[in-house]
Amino acid sequence: MKCTECGFEAPVAKFRYLYNARIDASITLRQCPQCQAWLAVDELAGSAQQKVGPGEAPWGKSAGIEGLAKDAAS
Amino acid sequence: MAEPVKDLNVDDLEKKQEWWWIAEKKRSKRLDYLRKAVWKKGAVGGNYAPGIKVDLELPTLFTQMYNWWKFDPPMLRRAKANAHVLDNITIFITDHAQLVGYMGSLPHTILWRVDGASIVNEELYNEPGIIPEPVEENLKKIADLNSFWAGQTAVDKVARLLDPEDAVKFLSGAIGWGAPTSAYGYSGKDYEFLFAKRNGFSDILAMIEERLENAEDRTIGTPGPDILPLYERIQNWEAMKVILEAAIRYANRYARLARTIAENYETDPVRKEELIRLAETCEHVPAHAPRNLQESFQYDHFVQMLARLEAHEGAWPARPDYYHWPYYNKDVNIDKRLTRGEALDLVGEFLIRAYEVGGFGPRWAREGLQGITGTWVWTLGGVKKDGSDACNDLTVALLQAARLVRVSNPTFGFRWHPKVSDAVMREVFECIRHGLGYPSIRNDPVLVKNAMHWHGHPLEEARTWVHQACMSPCPTTKSGVQPMRMASATANCAKMIEYALSNGYDHVVQMQMGPKTGDPAKFATFEELFTAWVAQMEWIMNTLVRTVNLGRYKDPEFYGRPFLSATYERSVESGLDAVSPVGERGNCWVTFFTWVENADSLAAVKKLVFDDKKYTMAELVSAMRKNWDGNEQMRLDFVNAPKWGNDDDYVDDIMIRCLREVARHSKEIKCPCGNNWPALPENVSGNIHYSSIVGSLPNGRRLGDALYDGGISPGPGLDKKGPTAVLKSCGKIDHVGDGRAFLLNQRLSPTQLAGEKGYQLWKAYIRTWADLGLDHVQFNMVSDETLRAAQKDPEKYQEVIVRVAGYSAHFVDISRKTQDNIIQRTIQGI
Amino acid sequence: MKYKESKNFFPNPDNPQRGDYVERVVDPRQAYYKSRPVNADDEIPETAAEFVKPQK
Repeated sequence: MKCTECGFEAPVAKFRYLYNARIDASITLRQCPQCQAWLAVDELAGSAQQKVGPGEAPWGKSAGIEGLAKDAAS
Repeated sequence: MAEPVKDLNVDDLEKKQEWWWIAEKKRSKRLDYLRKAVWKKGAVGGNYAPGIKVDLELPTLFTQMYNWWKFDPPMLRRAKANAHVLDNITIFITDHAQLVGYMGSLPHTILWRVDGASIVNEELYNEPGIIPEPVEENLKKIADLNSFWAGQTAVDKVARLLDPEDAVKFLSGAIGWGAPTSAYGYSGKDYEFLFAKRNGFSDILAMIEERLENAEDRTIGTPGPDILPLYERIQNWEAMKVILEAAIRYANRYARLARTIAENYETDPVRKEELIRLAETCEHVPAHAPRNLQESFQYDHFVQMLARLEAHEGAWPARPDYYHWPYYNKDVNIDKRLTRGEALDLVGEFLIRAYEVGGFGPRWAREGLQGITGTWVWTLGGVKKDGSDACNDLTVALLQAARLVRVSNPTFGFRWHPKVSDAVMREVFECIRHGLGYPSIRNDPVLVKNAMHWHGHPLEEARTWVHQACMSPCPTTKSGVQPMRMASATANCAKMIEYALSNGYDHVVQMQMGPKTGDPAKFATFEELFTAWVAQMEWIMNTLVRTVNLGRYKDPEFYGRPFLSATYERSVESGLDAVSPVGERGNCWVTFFTWVENADSLAAVKKLVFDDKKYTMAELVSAMRKNWDGNEQMRLDFVNAPKWGNDDDYVDDIMIRCLREVARHSKEIKCPCGNNWPALPENVSGNIHYSSIVGSLPNGRRLGDALYDGGISPGPGLDKKGPTAVLKSCGKIDHVGDGRAFLLNQRLSPTQLAGEKGYQLWKAYIRTWADLGLDHVQFNMVSDETLRAAQKDPEKYQEVIVRVAGYSAHFVDISRKTQDNIIQRTIQGI
Repeated sequence: MKYKESKNFFPNPDNPQRGDYVERVVDPRQAYYKSRPVNADDEIPETAAEFVKPQK
């Protein structure tokens, strides 16, 4: 997986797992070991979707990335 | 705090559902001042707010005198040390206040009970910002205090007696939390003795004197075994005398200060009059039974503060509309001494005085109770001892005052029963509609039966029940009142299924915790897995209860509660410490955190491994060990297996089967009074605290994810069949026989529940809830939009309150993970 | 300066050698009066706040 911020590449598991506020979505929150950015990660595709800023939201239905977890039931 | 949009009137604000601005516009100037004067003591995401300082006066004064009286027996020694605190600690009176009393020396300080646990004391070094100036000097003072107490706090003493293996496993923090001592936790108050029987401290002192004289006569009379226990009891009665007399002096200090201000400094004649009235109030209570509403509130508040000066109490069992009603009725309705508005000011201030209370707690407690310093859940409504409706005008005034002051502590639990009037139900609903998250609704007939079933409380006593903390009922009577919360019998239940799938080994704390119940990869049937689960469940309950029972049994020797004892009828009569199991019927429960994950996990394994055979146990165990990494599709399959809260018998039957096993075991394990230990599923914010302690689970959760929000609430977003399906699943539980109480969180749409139609919809929902025999439900009624806006612009939304679990908190005071967890909860259309 | 020389010292009628030392405090959130018992003959420490007349 490639970090959307610094371009660091490594297997998904090397990006520190933080949490997934929404159990029924395959999007998680992980941290890049190189630039420490918090990333929204598609676990099925194994790819980083976007950076999640500290003032913005991590997750699911919460502020900042509303609707990102589209595979989850509303 | 940001200002409301200036040109908006109350109607506009109602349309926008910005209830916090409405409260500001509607409340009196006094309430507005007092509400904004409060220093918020609840930790924000685990850290104390800027400006909050730990109070060093109490521990210093207490330790000085405790050391001085080193040859006294435990209760007397403690009474003298606490009396020294009451005589010397700084007191204060806030401008505009009509009620006084705080458990620190200044408004921005938090109490540090130095004699509870060394491991808590040592945490003080690591807390940035809370050491008062001059920091270096005070750190030295703290180090001196810690050196004195190291090894002789209540928890140190209990820990030395515990089985070493139990101690290590308990202290790992993996299977439960709490401290087996009355130094932490909380106590019920004997309201029947103090309020219903109208006993002031002078009346109690007279009773003690009579007992003492009798006992002293006997100890110089005919020798025999019957007089031997009296020697110790005489010392205990002396201790009770010492602390009650000190308490009266303490109140008189406030009276003196109020008079001094009135006579020397105050220039406003109205305030002068108030200060004189305050002085007269503190001269009268707690020495004597109250005569009016102000004295009644002040008496209650003194009792609560004095108990908190003696121990770090993390809850506030109370039933204000029941015990203060005679005084409200006399002042407002009969004598017309107070207008309703004046009474509402007093009621609002009574809430604020409780809101400002806070103590220094360890980090695990702060994370588990984000945004608050304890669960002050006050009980409203319910029935009288004869079964008639106990609701009254003061019930309504408390509900109205709550909407004006909008505090997150205390909150209310409302004892619903079929005779509650529509007018009172509307007031209850208005609080919920205003987004307070409280009152929680409790099913009184079910819980009265439950109290009789589990603990054998007689009907009349069961009907006096009050919430001990978030959920658990306990009577306020001589034999029923509970002196010590069994705080460490709080189980992290997700470990039951985790250990069943790891042969009892904990891969997070990396040690063998539970019994070896077999290699899960080799389980050939669901029954083998379930048998392992039962063994792990019993082991967790046993380990926690053993610890607590020992702590309770030894507490009079290791800690002791002179003040609490002096306010308990049974202790005043017997001369025994209130914490002694003798004379108490017993009212224990094991709080079940992170419970529903068990049923959801077991159902998923049964379905996908043993019924559908889509995966093997070996594959599941392997995926668990890797925290589901590289197994996302498999994880989604386990998430999509049958889940609790959808009226699906496949998983609901497993839930009931689990609960019946727990109920069976609850009657096998006994408290020091010889009574049962039923389970009580609820969570506070333990679901967040334990997110980094519970490993991956077969419900699809990874290590790090929040657990479900607790009790019997379905997993957030997993209740896909609507509110009736949730109620039907929960209704399959026997809310009398399967456990002590069951927390249910629900989110409702504020838009749908607007206006009269909204109230009628909610009332119909409550009827269904009651018909299904559920014992509890609580609501969040704040929209996703508002919560998201509060995440983006917290300054503007400082006053938004949400229901976390058994308590409410200001949304901006809880961690991001907890905020997200609340937003993920399904908003049910009803 | 000794406590007994301060206008903010109020002797205890039963024991004039002891008394209450009363101070006015205005903190960032609230204004209040505080009181603590002192010995009349003790020196007032430099850290004690000066009494400030309440603002009406």
